[in-house]
Amino acid sequence: MSREKLERLGLQLPLFPTTSVGSFPKPDYLVRARADFAKGKITAHQLRDLERKATAFWIETQENLGVDVLVDGEMSRGDMVAYFAERLPGFTEGGLVRAYGNRYYHKPIITGEVSWPGPVIVESWQFAQSLTKKPVKGMLTGAYTIMDWSFNEHYPDRRSTAMALAAVIRKEVEALIGAGCKIVQIDEPALSVRSEELPIALEAMERTTKDLDGYFITHACYGEFDHIYPGMLDLAVDNFDLEMSNSDLDLLEIFRRHPFTKDISFGVVDVHSHRMEALEAVRERVEKALTILPKEIIWIDPDCGLKTRTVEQAIEKLRLCVEAAKSFR
Amino acid sequence: MSLAPNPKLPGLHLASTGSYPRIGDGSELQILRRATASLDRGERNTADLLDAEHEMTRLAIADQLSAGLEVITDGQIRWYDPISHIASKLANVKTAGLQRYFDTNFYFRQPVITGTPKRSDALVAKDFSFARNALGHLPTPKNLAGKLSIKPVLTGPYTLAKFSLSAHTGNGAVDPFSSLEARTLAYAEAIAAEIVALAQIGASFIQIDEPAIIKYPEDWKIFEKAVSQLTAARDKSAAEGRRTELALYAYFHDPAPLYEKFITLPVDIIGLDFTYNPKLADLVASIGSPKPLGLGLVDGRNTKLEDAGEIARQIERLLPKIQGGCAYINPSCGLEYLPRDRAFAKLQLLDKIRAVVGA
Repeated sequence: MSREKLERLGLQLPLFPTTSVGSFPKPDYLVRARADFAKGKITAHQLRDLERKATAFWIETQENLGVDVLVDGEMSRGDMVAYFAERLPGFTEGGLVRAYGNRYYHKPIITGEVSWPGPVIVESWQFAQSLTKKPVKGMLTGAYTIMDWSFNEHYPDRRSTAMALAAVIRKEVEALIGAGCKIVQIDEPALSVRSEELPIALEAMERTTKDLDGYFITHACYGEFDHIYPGMLDLAVDNFDLEMSNSDLDLLEIFRRHPFTKDISFGVVDVHSHRMEALEAVRERVEKALTILPKEIIWIDPDCGLKTRTVEQAIEKLRLCVEAAKSFR
Repeated sequence: MSLAPNPKLPGLHLASTGSYPRIGDGSELQILRRATASLDRGERNTADLLDAEHEMTRLAIADQLSAGLEVITDGQIRWYDPISHIASKLANVKTAGLQRYFDTNFYFRQPVITGTPKRSDALVAKDFSFARNALGHLPTPKNLAGKLSIKPVLTGPYTLAKFSLSAHTGNGAVDPFSSLEARTLAYAEAIAAEIVALAQIGASFIQIDEPAIIKYPEDWKIFEKAVSQLTAARDKSAAEGRRTELALYAYFHDPAPLYEKFITLPVDIIGLDFTYNPKLADLVASIGSPKPLGLGLVDGRNTKLEDAGEIARQIERLLPKIQGGCAYINPSCGLEYLPRDRAFAKLQLLDKIRAVVGA
């Protein structure tokens, strides 16, 4: 584990630190408020107050559950790429495209040079951190994923697009660290979709985090990791947050073939199912992890963001993570 | 291998590659989303959903027609996704969780095979009949009279199998579908039956989508066996007087390493995605093709509109090397991955490109 780094950053974490991937479900009043805001029925200020109320609820909930490294729950975000695209110069909102089934989203279009307009999430991170003494992660989407999930009408190719975005995300990381954030999560769920482009993703992350004094996590999911492993271990982060349970811990087999050399946030509950795992089943997943991974590198969390679950289900899934982790300490 | 130049240049037709956006930004283009959501809430019934699907299908066909396309699809408006739409209609196949579809940010439901997959009802044949009828109700532009056809699309057996699981319970019996080959050939039998049914009701082209083979070329032998089953079905129909052409389309990866194998397959048309390898056009120009090609030079995955002149120059370079009497200009893949306005602009671009080639 990058214990030394965490300690140097002033962070004392127990064995099997618990955290979550990022998003939590929005309470009903916030869902209604976001719809009202879209229709012009409430002001941005009114919406922000409700987002803060929901953030405070989730910070308090995580503290009560005993989670070690908290998140703000992304109460002001919808889509993880569109949120940044709406705030960064160089992007235009695209028309609706389908994600799956009857779910659609506005896929952003890069129509000009992307640039950093000043801090994007620093204020919301500061607010969340002000509510707790426990560390709150700063949550960003990585350059490669923003590139891959946007249309590009400006840059000549995918690499130059990713590098331009890396320069922008780096500035946001610098601003977060400057504000006191010590753990920054830079999500790259698109990491494995084009294995031949892994060098681009590696270079983009290197440019994003190089020589910055923070503990960096990246979350990736829905991937064919066997195609990019062990090369993905060169990503310039300290911790990979991986969806393990949804794939029946298949990834452990590839870790057996080549040692996993980073810390791992090990997903122990399936976020795509409302079914609540038994504590013993969650413990078994951790035990299986321990047959291959040293205990010092393992963090415990859900597979992915919990935003698609109900508030009650999300809390129960988190509670399972915490109880399982504590039972191994 | 290098084929001699074709002394007579092939005719150039405009074709759809399959899907078309089922939603747009205007309220009138969101009827299907609303109907589906209302059905999920129990406020409307399946007849309402069917009405919305019909209407969006008509609009997709109208857009293709007004953009000047000759080979038109139903836009695959009714498809939940390219995998489960076909697989879940087969007996002994159920669907499970979401998986990412290639390198898109689009997700499909993974099929789980519980027994021998069997075609017990039409897969797309009824949709084909509806689309043909809908096309017949639209006024035909003068220059397209007698040239229009509806092309049904089927996801190919290899791609279906590659993304399917077997539900074998591990009770000691041998799992007949543990192997990719067994799954592929079982799906091939069902798809072959659909080809016969489509030929029977007058489909003159059928598009078979096999994007997975260019990502997993190591499975070529299995893929080739499945293709043989499909072409046998086509030949059987032809022998009974119902001629149909099979167009095999592959996209979402670079087809260059398999190009020479593709052009020897016994299908009638090969559709290729040119957007993953800028040198694919050089390869095709140097080797040529003994059969018509679908030239996927217009990027179906990015909103940026290509320069019609540049694409036309590429096509002019390729045409003399394409045998079989014709070639097709089509997007690199289905257009569902684009916002509707951009998808329509891409269709219009096809006609502009052909005009430049002609000039």
